[in-house]
Amino acid sequence: MANQTPAVVMDNGTGFSKLGFAGNDSPSFVFPTAIATKGGAAGGGSGSGRPAVANKPSFLTGGAGPTGHLSGKRGTEDLDFFIGDEAISAASGPGYGLHYPIRHGQIENWDHMERFWSNSIFKYLRVEPEDHYFLLTEPPLNPPENRENTAEIFFESFNCAGLYIAVQAVLALAASWTSSKVTDRSLTGTVIDSGDGVTHVIPVAEGYVIGSSIKSIPIAGRDITYFVQSLLRDRGEPDSSLKTAQEIKEAHCYVCPDIVNEFGKYDRDRSRFMKHVVAQPGGREVTVDVGYERFLAPEIFFNPEIYSSDFLTPLPVVVDGVIQSSPIDVRRGLYKNIVLSGGSTLYKDFGRRLQRDIKQLVDARIRQSEVRSGGAKSGGLEVQVITHKRQRHGPWFGGSLLGQTPEFRSYCHTKAEYQEYGPGIVRRFALLGGPGGS
Amino acid sequence: MLLLDYQNVLIQSVLTERFSGAPPVSIDQTVSDFDGVTFHISTPETKSKIMVSIQIRCFPDLLRYGAEEVLNREYGPYVVSPEPGFDFSIVVDLENLPAEKEARDDLVNKIALLKRNAMAAPFEQAYKEHYHLKQEAAKFTSEEAPQGVREGGEVKAIHYREEEAIYVKASHDRVTVIFSTIFREETDRVFGKVFIQEFVDARRRAIQNAPQVLFRNDPPLELQGVPGVKNTGTGEIGYVTFVLFPRHLTPQRMPDVISHIQTFRDYFHYHIKASKAYIHSRMRRRTADFLQVLRRARPDSEEKERKTASGRTFKVGS
Amino acid sequence: MSQSLRPYLQAVRSSLTAALCLSNFASQTAERHNVPEVEARTSPEVLLTPLTIARNENERVLIEPSINSIRISIKIKQADEIEHILVHKFTRFLTQRAESFFILRRKPIKGYDISFLITNFHTEEMLKHKLVDFIIQFMEEVDKEISEMKLFLNARARFVAESFLTPFD
Repeated sequence: MANQTPAVVMDNGTGFSKLGFAGNDSPSFVFPTAIATKGGAAGGGSGSGRPAVANKPSFLTGGAGPTGHLSGKRGTEDLDFFIGDEAISAASGPGYGLHYPIRHGQIENWDHMERFWSNSIFKYLRVEPEDHYFLLTEPPLNPPENRENTAEIFFESFNCAGLYIAVQAVLALAASWTSSKVTDRSLTGTVIDSGDGVTHVIPVAEGYVIGSSIKSIPIAGRDITYFVQSLLRDRGEPDSSLKTAQEIKEAHCYVCPDIVNEFGKYDRDRSRFMKHVVAQPGGREVTVDVGYERFLAPEIFFNPEIYSSDFLTPLPVVVDGVIQSSPIDVRRGLYKNIVLSGGSTLYKDFGRRLQRDIKQLVDARIRQSEVRSGGAKSGGLEVQVITHKRQRHGPWFGGSLLGQTPEFRSYCHTKAEYQEYGPGIVRRFALLGGPGGS
Repeated sequence: MLLLDYQNVLIQSVLTERFSGAPPVSIDQTVSDFDGVTFHISTPETKSKIMVSIQIRCFPDLLRYGAEEVLNREYGPYVVSPEPGFDFSIVVDLENLPAEKEARDDLVNKIALLKRNAMAAPFEQAYKEHYHLKQEAAKFTSEEAPQGVREGGEVKAIHYREEEAIYVKASHDRVTVIFSTIFREETDRVFGKVFIQEFVDARRRAIQNAPQVLFRNDPPLELQGVPGVKNTGTGEIGYVTFVLFPRHLTPQRMPDVISHIQTFRDYFHYHIKASKAYIHSRMRRRTADFLQVLRRARPDSEEKERKTASGRTFKVGS
Repeated sequence: MSQSLRPYLQAVRSSLTAALCLSNFASQTAERHNVPEVEARTSPEVLLTPLTIARNENERVLIEPSINSIRISIKIKQADEIEHILVHKFTRFLTQRAESFFILRRKPIKGYDISFLITNFHTEEMLKHKLVDFIIQFMEEVDKEISEMKLFLNARARFVAESFLTPFD
């Protein structure tokens, strides 16, 4: 039966999980990677990882719950949990504690993650894992042990038919193939992945991540929201909640070519100032003025000093540095294919500005070396930043794209192979969509 | 989560959102459900016309047992000719939705139950046969009943999975539902046996009014002579029989009983997997515990925990 | 602790303590090699007589001492099919994490469920009596864990069955 069923694509990120079926152009479910379990933070071993084993398992001590209903007596606490949006709402009530099983892109709490997956599969996706192939994602530099643990869960608990684990950055590259600017479907490029918590710049050569050159920037979506909020507060707007700040960020922000000119434009043309209407609880509506933050907020990527005093390197400089630290023979490919991914790269003209700034850095360096060499002429270097429609869920979409190809299944490790070789088998996967692939 | 939902959550959420008056957008999603069922939600013509198609592998079986009738009853005005590659399609026009919110929600739920309704046909037919046979049987004493009445209706086979099937048979005093189950994995097979045993015992112990559950490794008597049922003799195929008694067979309870019994296989498998997950977490805890004991054997591995002024702790390794 | 378990564990503890008398010993067959002799089995004169301690036909421990290493294999009680599966799952789970256990052998000796390999390097950097404690505690707790898991499985199965059948009521 596994012959016709679409592959399941799951991209579990630090903040949000994207779940869906290969072949679709958007994930079926996007919800927070959160799990609410009974009994507050103590349930099932939180962050520190090794709670003491009770002398008797809880189901033998009986009637632990004050209510004493059925599940309290039978040791079924492990079934009593919620994930995603339901977890958030359950945690706001009494009795449940909220956990985030993934931290910094890597799975920290396997117990919670296993249950999160179980619920994703059976409640939301409604698939029998034995009938489906699964495509999962992992962050760059994920330890191979984590892969093995993942495989252990998917093959032993869920008996899934086949499994492929791909690096998010590589999938983000694959997702950019939908852009008209991409002519050859290569898996070489620089991925700028900016989510809610952190921004990564990841060079990928021929489908393999150049681990030593990865850089991360502590500025991402959340910081932009905070920045918008602080600007609103400074002006004393009637509503400066985080939610309002986020709405304004998503609705009105864009990237300008030059701040000074942009300030001038705003001062000449008052129509550029916007109004944002906030519906407050209780039916009242408040109007918030939206001013310079429209272009100032995303500007913190390019001029971090206006927001942070710890981190001062602009994004284009970081990208240039990353590529310069990569092996020399792939640098040309890395400059030519800079791919954006993640929600915080969606600002209008973000890609254009980035391309211009990187180009300036590169050209300046070329000119210098031309001068130093005394008359030699450089052929120039092409810098291209790819913006495409699927940026928001880039890794998921890349997974969907590759998961629907007919040869996808042959790249997966199957249950039979797992049983033959053990979990160590998932340390290696043939490169999906790479040379010799499609 | 204890019981599985009857409806498809994704269809429900997509349609709820669409029906709430949000601006129309084009949709093209393939959605999967248990037992290899595939849905396709799309907007083929205009953004306001949503088409939902379903593909079930046992659709020919279902048609034979009156699926068309049931589906037409449920989705009458929305039914259209099936999309190529699918078995059944309906189209909902966003511009012609029911006005009241309740009616709209009802429609959403109804569509989300598409799989359930399609699969319900053989069960409904069995119910009807049962009513009929009951009437017939009432005319005779048990000895002199004619052959047809005593034996009950024919066995309806639904080959809903490649290797597994549901068999439904109506008699004058009961409806028998038989699931054939197969486990490819040794652990699942053993766990499954434990679970099934409890299903069989549950009625004796706690829930007297539940349907009787029987389990055996060779085809039960009801299935003798049914094409496709082989007695492999190896015992790898199990047959789980649910005997629905007249108290489950009242017309009022019919919809719930049908929905519920359909989820049996997936419920069963879900819980086997959930217990494996729980056992995993126990093993993780126990492993951590063993490591702790082993670590005590290292004389110099005492980790000192220190505190900063702000109360954060950090560890000083050896 | 049941009547026969205590002497059984005591016997294992004494034999292990006696056997854990290891010294550094370079290989006699390959120059500049230092291998656990009990695994290499190249020089019979450094191998000591293996010892089996059995509590009953299903539970036994095999201790194979040698000059620089000792191998301990445990056969865990498996009364029925369920326990067999659970033991199999648990031991595989542990061996999968053998890296962090130092003394755990990735593969058990034939006829046993789990094996440990302790070399002189282990006893040099770890406390010998604590290693023995570990093995003993492991033996105790493994049995407990298996029976608890089995109890859990039955309890869960009953709960699941009743929950499914209750709506029919």
